[in-house]
Amino acid sequence: MGARRVAVTGLGVICALGHNTANTWDAICEGKPGIAPIHSVDLSRLRFQNGAQVRGYDSGKYFEASRADMLDRFAQFALIAAREALQSSGIELTPELREMTAVVTGSCMGGQSTQDAQFVELYEKALNRVHPRTIPRTMANAGASQISMEFGITGPAFTVSTACSSANHAIGQAFWMVREGSAELAIAGGSEAPFSLGLLKAWEAMRVVSPDTCRPFSKDRRGLILGEGGAMLVLEPLDAAQARGATIYAEVVGFGMSSDAHHITQPSVEGPVRAMRAALRDAGFLPEQIGYINAHGTGTPTNDLTETRAIRELFADHADRLAVSSTKSLHGHALGAAGAIEAVCTVLALREGLLPPTVNFTALDPECDLDVVPNRARPAQVECALSNSFAFGGLNAVLAFRAHGD
Amino acid sequence: MDESTEKVLSTVASVRHISRERVSLESSLEELEFDSLDRVTLLFELEKAFQISISDDEARSIRNVRDVVEGVAKLVAGAALDSAAPEAIK
Repeated sequence: MGARRVAVTGLGVICALGHNTANTWDAICEGKPGIAPIHSVDLSRLRFQNGAQVRGYDSGKYFEASRADMLDRFAQFALIAAREALQSSGIELTPELREMTAVVTGSCMGGQSTQDAQFVELYEKALNRVHPRTIPRTMANAGASQISMEFGITGPAFTVSTACSSANHAIGQAFWMVREGSAELAIAGGSEAPFSLGLLKAWEAMRVVSPDTCRPFSKDRRGLILGEGGAMLVLEPLDAAQARGATIYAEVVGFGMSSDAHHITQPSVEGPVRAMRAALRDAGFLPEQIGYINAHGTGTPTNDLTETRAIRELFADHADRLAVSSTKSLHGHALGAAGAIEAVCTVLALREGLLPPTVNFTALDPECDLDVVPNRARPAQVECALSNSFAFGGLNAVLAFRAHGD
Repeated sequence: MDESTEKVLSTVASVRHISRERVSLESSLEELEFDSLDRVTLLFELEKAFQISISDDEARSIRNVRDVVEGVAKLVAGAALDSAAPEAIK
């Protein structure tokens, strides 16, 4: 069967590191994290103080007031990333192409910050009405719908919500659709904006958020740092991309999924192993071909330990020749956007020949004894890479990418 | 134009993000290009501004700005009567 090769021809990002791909990548190259005191809520009510928020964001720069009213922050981030991704792809959306284009977005919490604010009116201020825009702003598919409306894209559009794996599941589905021919173009990624008091308190109660910073794989790691943002990729058949002379950032070559079927919050080793193995099989790769893994690497004691064990189990001796870094140490854990931001990091690592660092790394943990590219980005031309996302609920999604030689 | 009518007209304008001058008592919501979400948003803003509750039946009967002004006036008068009632009983 002649499955089509799938090229990444457009990238768009807005996150704590920058409001576009170039600024985000610069911060990654410099190893400059976007973690700072949270500015959106009263910090006296929180046990943790730091987050990776999008700083200096002015919605008026991107949306007219009447449009912004309709958009929760998470949907704004989805649109901003999609605009940049489409623009960078240089694709012309003809009426025929619009019908054959897919939009697949991921989000963990959707517009729950809008809901949170509205429920304050209801419960705290005892007002007996909630704004009619609450539902259209809150629904998790708002990002996909708004992208499809803005660009007149009338093909398949949907949203995947699998907690921290949402964006990887979204990109994976879009990749498969383009590969097997049910879409000629796809905009896929994720977005998230969880910095409202109610949501932050809910994360606080999970006791997984670090009181200082995010130090993945480091001996003294104390948890994750929440992040926000949006990232989108434009995917299209490689031959179509080449025919129109598009910039090809990399190829998506494989996607693998699994469920731990084990525990609603506690990760397993076996689930991630099966997802990574499935991605390799889908890509037709041997483990030895992988040179870099963008880890799930949340910085929680448990995740980084189980992820290390999973990588060691699957890659055996080759695990010592792999570079494995967590860019969450820079852009935080943006939940349903995480996989998309990390996909952009992985694609650019392959294209630019530079492996993103795991920053804030202070001390080796013998239980996490991988080459985590500590603190400084490393020039290295890698041919094949994986990007891992492992969600609460035990749902794992792994993407495989290959560098594209021009 | 009394204060409450003026308040209704300016609410109509702000919900549609149009200038107040475009809105008159004779304007129909259709010519002001109200879509279904704008309609429910208008109801929400009016309920909040006038401290009233607009039923779905009352909401459905609205065609133009005059309907809105009259409906709001009726509900405001009814609300005043309701709050006066306990006093009358005493």
